Amino acid sequence: MSDTSAVTEHKTDHIQHHFVDSDQQFESSKMGMWIFLVTEILFFGGLFAAYIVYRAWYPELYLEASTQLNAFWGTVNTAVLIGSSLTVAMAIRSAQLNQIKGLIINLYITIGLAITFMVIKYFEYAEKLEKGIAPGRYYTYDGLEHEKANIFFSIYYMMTGLHGIHVVIGIGLMIWLVVKAKKKVFHSGYYTPVEITGLYWHLVDVIWIFLFPLLYLID
Amino acid sequence: MSGHHISSAKFLWGIGIALFFLTFVTVAVTWIQIPEPWNVVVAIAIAVVKATIVALFFMNLWWDSKFNVLLFIMSIVFFILMIGITLLDTLYRTDPIPSF
Repeated sequence: MSDTSAVTEHKTDHIQHHFVDSDQQFESSKMGMWIFLVTEILFFGGLFAAYIVYRAWYPELYLEASTQLNAFWGTVNTAVLIGSSLTVAMAIRSAQLNQIKGLIINLYITIGLAITFMVIKYFEYAEKLEKGIAPGRYYTYDGLEHEKANIFFSIYYMMTGLHGIHVVIGIGLMIWLVVKAKKKVFHSGYYTPVEITGLYWHLVDVIWIFLFPLLYLID
Repeated sequence: MSGHHISSAKFLWGIGIALFFLTFVTVAVTWIQIPEPWNVVVAIAIAVVKATIVALFFMNLWWDSKFNVLLFIMSIVFFILMIGITLLDTLYRTDPIPSF
């Protein structure tokens, strides 16, 4: 390790005056992120509650309506998101080891996978909307027997739509990380934004892990 | 130092492969028709295992401060509470909401 005085100076740059040291700052940021993730879990929790209530009322609706969802593309998207969780974990590892090039490459792969996810989602949505499978009162498809078929798709669009918004925000955050990494902001002593964006991204993955079997794999 | 655990690349790949494998299992169990309601129970059980693996080894809760673990667990406790109390109402209605 070639620790010049310039590098040492650089390593305390990020510490804000109201923190005792780098570690305390890091731990505080991470705890703040976990509290935010708690609110996210309860945010999605409301939608899961709607899903459960309506599934208890109309179990046969879910069986029938989920046949309109393509399990193959759902599986592909699950694999894509798990892959992106892996590359985010690798990005954090690169940052911890001061390998900034590796950090940027892993972030690029993650962004690529996230965009792949959204493109697949776009084609899924487009295919349904073309058939008239729209949420709520905009539902015009007549291929399903159940009179409340629109309810399943309202829930489907709300849950996957909110999840999709989170993916798009994640893409934005990771572009921001790439920009910062290129400006040489991150090093093994300071990679807090990478760490907490990683936490966010893993949570988005966890939510999809539940959405996938609950929406695509009924029956 | 709780916050700076560095996982080896091999370990992270191992976790990733375990998650890919469990995704395959999730899909594979739908091929053998498990009778209601056990198909839902199996699907949720696998999802819970996958989510736990992600939380422990990708989100590093395994090595993290206990307080962050507590936050995560409490969010799930309150989520279950919300579902439970809601179902106590909706499960015992003679008629769901009219026109919904």
